Amino acid sequence: MTTADVIEVAAEALEGPGGLVVAGVSKVFSGRRGEVAALADVDLHVEHGELVCLLGASGCGKSTLLSIIGGLDHPTSGRVTVGGDEVIGPGADRGMVFQAYSLFPWLTVRRNIEFGLELAGVDHAARTARVDELLGTMMLTEFAEALPRELSGGMRQRVAIARALAPEPDILLLDEPFGALDAQTRRHLQDFLLALWRRTGATILMVTHDVEEAIYLASRVYVLAPRPGRVLEEIDIPFGRDRGPTVKRDPRFIDLREALADALG
Amino acid sequence: MTLTGSGVASGTRGRRQPQLLRVFGPIDLRMRVALGVAGVASVFALWLVGAAAFAGGSLIPTPGATWTAFWDQWHTTLRGDLAASSYRILVGYTISVAIGIVLGMAMGAMRSVEAFFEPPMGFLRYIPATALVPVFLLLLGIDETPKIWLIVVGTVFFNILMMADAARAVPRELVNAAYTLGAGQWTVLRRVVFRHSVPGIVDAARVNLAAAWLMLVVAELLAANNGLGFGVERAHRFHAFPAMFALLMVFGIIGLVSDLLLRALRGRLAPWAEG
Ligand SMILES: Nc1ncnc2c1ncn2[C@@H]1O[C@H](COP(=O)(O)OP(=O)(O)O)[C@@H](O)[C@H]1O
Ligand SMILES: [Mg+2]
Repeated sequence: MTTADVIEVAAEALEGPGGLVVAGVSKVFSGRRGEVAALADVDLHVEHGELVCLLGASGCGKSTLLSIIGGLDHPTSGRVTVGGDEVIGPGADRGMVFQAYSLFPWLTVRRNIEFGLELAGVDHAARTARVDELLGTMMLTEFAEALPRELSGGMRQRVAIARALAPEPDILLLDEPFGALDAQTRRHLQDFLLALWRRTGATILMVTHDVEEAIYLASRVYVLAPRPGRVLEEIDIPFGRDRGPTVKRDPRFIDLREALADALG
Repeated sequence: MTLTGSGVASGTRGRRQPQLLRVFGPIDLRMRVALGVAGVASVFALWLVGAAAFAGGSLIPTPGATWTAFWDQWHTTLRGDLAASSYRILVGYTISVAIGIVLGMAMGAMRSVEAFFEPPMGFLRYIPATALVPVFLLLLGIDETPKIWLIVVGTVFFNILMMADAARAVPRELVNAAYTLGAGQWTVLRRVVFRHSVPGIVDAARVNLAAAWLMLVVAELLAANNGLGFGVERAHRFHAFPAMFALLMVFGIIGLVSDLLLRALRGRLAPWAEG
């Protein structure tokens, strides 16, 4: 089964107003060795249907920002809204995917993906249909009854994405989802994510420290600077939704790569 | 010449590693079994030497005499004693494990619960439970109740603390994943924290079971008219050393069997956590 012909079924997955607005968000951690300003006055937005990347070196507050958007942490000041509603805590409307180790190791692939649907009270028949559909989309059908530890790293991340998509979130938040994968699997999953985005029109905010990954995937990139974490630049990526691996040889791609690498320092 | 090279070729490089005594080194199954058998045989040999050395077998009975005494008791008091002791352990230790799970999960997962219970428990757990035996016997009489509660107080703190550690070790990624899938506090506690802690809970219960038997025997030695501990005391009174040794063997076998059963239970409940 190819990626293209199975994603159709997930087309409604991310429908609805997903517009995300982060306004003046600051975050200060007070620890034993004084205060750490992790984020300082961050403003950004993601339009419905956009795929936006947050690009920054390690330690510049990317995970902190994503946690705040996900409702897992609270900003010291500023606010986050999704579809106009203020974020006050975590919820299945903002699906999250972490770098690794986030699948429930005691649940099969099917039951992992089903988790959010069960919590939402979706009945058994509807759950099964939805999971079957996602298993197809993610090319995981034959692994439905496998445990996470029996899967490769790339498959696990596909399960994690499927699980986050299952409750049909308004926005998908990805925190370096391919960061722990080998280069080849990583490229494969990047294409996979592009295809998913193209066919579903999902609203996606993805964190990465990989310049090329950001340019290859995003329609816009926010470059973050460290200490304190803040938005350095906002860059439009000129490639459309139908981009493929060939854009990596486009002169504009190469220029952008230089410029962003310089911006990161 | 480098700092580590000898500069002169001598035909080998590196430090040859021992086969049997290599740190974290592998051994094959046959060697494992052979060493196990040798271990048991050594204990047996020590026993034979002891039996010969101390008053020619009257103070420390020979294995043969112990075997005979075992069957004598089996046909008289042993089965009753075994049933009485097992009942006390089953009731007392079940209560202890239940409290351990509830408080341990809550303490390990919630800072507020931990902050509340940690100071009093830090104090209480250093009171030797065996020192409470007289108090319990006075307060609760000499029937089943004090024995059961002695087992509870003698083990519950260990269970709570070890089970709290299991809860604390739950990866935050799993908790966060559950939250972002729409889970509330209760769901996270039940379906993530508890679920992930199951192997740790069984391990804690397995390790602390030894303390339960310790408390039971102390109580039965002091105040009981049945049970394995009482059996030891009765054998002592009649100077029936082979009978006493037979009971010691029974304790060892019960421990071994319950250990194996709980390991099997762990495998059944949490196959995903098996190595
Ligand atoms: N819970 C915390 N307590 C204290 N400091 C933290 C905490 N979480 C993150 N930080 C600090 O905030 C900064 C940003 O961290 P993080 O968001 O993880 O960065 P990134 O994901 O970009 O690597 C780092 O300096 C980190 O040490
Ligand atoms: Mg991070």
